[in-house]
Amino acid sequence: MLNPILSFSATRRMRSFKTLLIAASYVIVMLAVTLLIMGRLFGNEATFHSIRNSVTCYQAQMVTQFILILLIAPAMTSGAIAGERERQTLELLLVTNTRSFRIVIGKAMESFAMLALLIVCGFPVMCLTMVTGAVTLTQLLVGELFLLLIAFASVSVGVFSSTLARSTVASGVISYLILLAIGGLTLIPLLSDFPEEVTSIVYDTGSLAALTPGEALKMLSPVLMCNPGYALIALLHGQTGMLTSIMKYRETGRLLCEFRLMDKAGGETLALISCGIILVLAVLLLLAAALLLRKNSLKPAKRTK
Amino acid sequence: MLSLNKLTKKYGSFTALNGLSLEIEDGQLHGFVGPNGAGKTTTMRILATLLKPTSGTAAIDGVDVVRNGTEARRLIGYMPDFFGVYDSLKCWEYLDFYARCYRIPAAERKKMTERLLELVQLSEKKDAFVDSLSRGMKQRLCLARSLIHDPKLLILDEPASGMDPRARAEMKTILRTLREMGKTVLISSHILPELSEMCDSLTILDHGELVFSGSVEALSEKMNGNAPLEIRLQEGCGEATVETAVACLKELPFVKEILQEGTCVLKVRTEGGEQEHMQMLREMVSRNIPVCDFHRAPMNLEKVFMEVTGDA
Repeated sequence: MLNPILSFSATRRMRSFKTLLIAASYVIVMLAVTLLIMGRLFGNEATFHSIRNSVTCYQAQMVTQFILILLIAPAMTSGAIAGERERQTLELLLVTNTRSFRIVIGKAMESFAMLALLIVCGFPVMCLTMVTGAVTLTQLLVGELFLLLIAFASVSVGVFSSTLARSTVASGVISYLILLAIGGLTLIPLLSDFPEEVTSIVYDTGSLAALTPGEALKMLSPVLMCNPGYALIALLHGQTGMLTSIMKYRETGRLLCEFRLMDKAGGETLALISCGIILVLAVLLLLAAALLLRKNSLKPAKRTK
Repeated sequence: MLSLNKLTKKYGSFTALNGLSLEIEDGQLHGFVGPNGAGKTTTMRILATLLKPTSGTAAIDGVDVVRNGTEARRLIGYMPDFFGVYDSLKCWEYLDFYARCYRIPAAERKKMTERLLELVQLSEKKDAFVDSLSRGMKQRLCLARSLIHDPKLLILDEPASGMDPRARAEMKTILRTLREMGKTVLISSHILPELSEMCDSLTILDHGELVFSGSVEALSEKMNGNAPLEIRLQEGCGEATVETAVACLKELPFVKEILQEGTCVLKVRTEGGEQEHMQMLREMVSRNIPVCDFHRAPMNLEKVFMEVTGDA
């Protein structure tokens, strides 16, 4: 039997005019970004079929969707549990035989399905970059999968916050703070330099060439890999060589070391590892939400009849 | 069906429920009465597995609600003192959703939903959106929701609060039907007369403690024994006569309290029984006090409630 929370919440969401509005806005933003970048890059002289420009457009589309998902997901999921609490329907759910994990998963999947719908709605716009043949369908599909994973992770943060918070507004604020904290704290390794033995290898072209992908991977910070932005950069570099030009201009610094090692380890491999870590963290957050749901809901609440 | 043993719930230093012990038989409609803050909702929330007691046990049909919450939830239907309804949902969808939460198969769900809508007199509103229903209708829909998995025990927390007289009457009819169906119903209210009309037995709580538990008749009998004697003197007998009567009564050692109502009615609380009452009447007549009426004032249930909960 399909999770009742999922099907029921989806029914309610799809009946709302807001859903249509959000989906339309998402596609419009995607189209606007695509047309703006195409217009600026192709200009009057350049042709629409410029391969490099299509790649840049794909990168911009991925970054735009990545940001949109991180902005929309907390707002979308903030009412998942907190809304039930505000509506005083959570107790009614808890006295049924539905287990906490089923409630949490149902709520998470419903929000995830909505985000997935947005991502799918944006796919035809992404396909515009395929016109030149610079971006393949496989690359686009991998990009979509990556965005779906980011959507799932953002939803798990939202549902977790919703379990903690007493109101939808508080839940939204907590979600954004958690996302900011994850984004900020996982960048801390960038504040310090690599050890001497690592930099000596990275700056020396010969040593770097002799380095195997596995060895390069070991030198990279696992904390940094928990950052979804890092995963996106790794993926785009793996797919399109996004960092190649940046590496040309930089001569020293932590970022250059990071990018060279990323290049050596393989962008797509790194993105895969990073996505794996993010997925595990997301599942752990959902488990924590399920554990906290009953505990947090059984506290005496001030109510108005 | 329901057994509470020294059930206690504390919030820090505040005791919401203090060692409540209670037994409720199968198929009974049992009223839970008490003023606000008496511990009714706390008890009901413990039974609904929404609160954990500080100490003591609560068992439904032998199933401990704390140790075996999942099993206990199958046996109970809980209706809190608020609606808890979703907008953008039709009445049948609302019931269907909860039926699915209880994993009731699709074919059975449809039948159950229709039967329950009929029971709560909402069949005509099957396809109406929940937010378009009146307060009374929403209450009835919530009652139908609590019955969706055919529970043995129904826990209804102030189901008639905020309803108009007609809606209250409809709710009472439904509750009587439920009793006929053999359901055990635990229903709370802070209005004793309201419950006494339909309940088989009552429990009165005050400040988290059990004040009374038994049948409505037993409660009335118990309280009538404590009712004051009403002595009416001859109309226009004058202040001096009333003062003489009060002085006469004060001389009697078993008189506890004398209250004057109006110009010539005295309400007297005494210790002892009929012998003492006879002595009192004899003493007053022997002093030529014009006693026209001498009887025990009947207590209505409202007064009983005030008396029992100490707010008289």
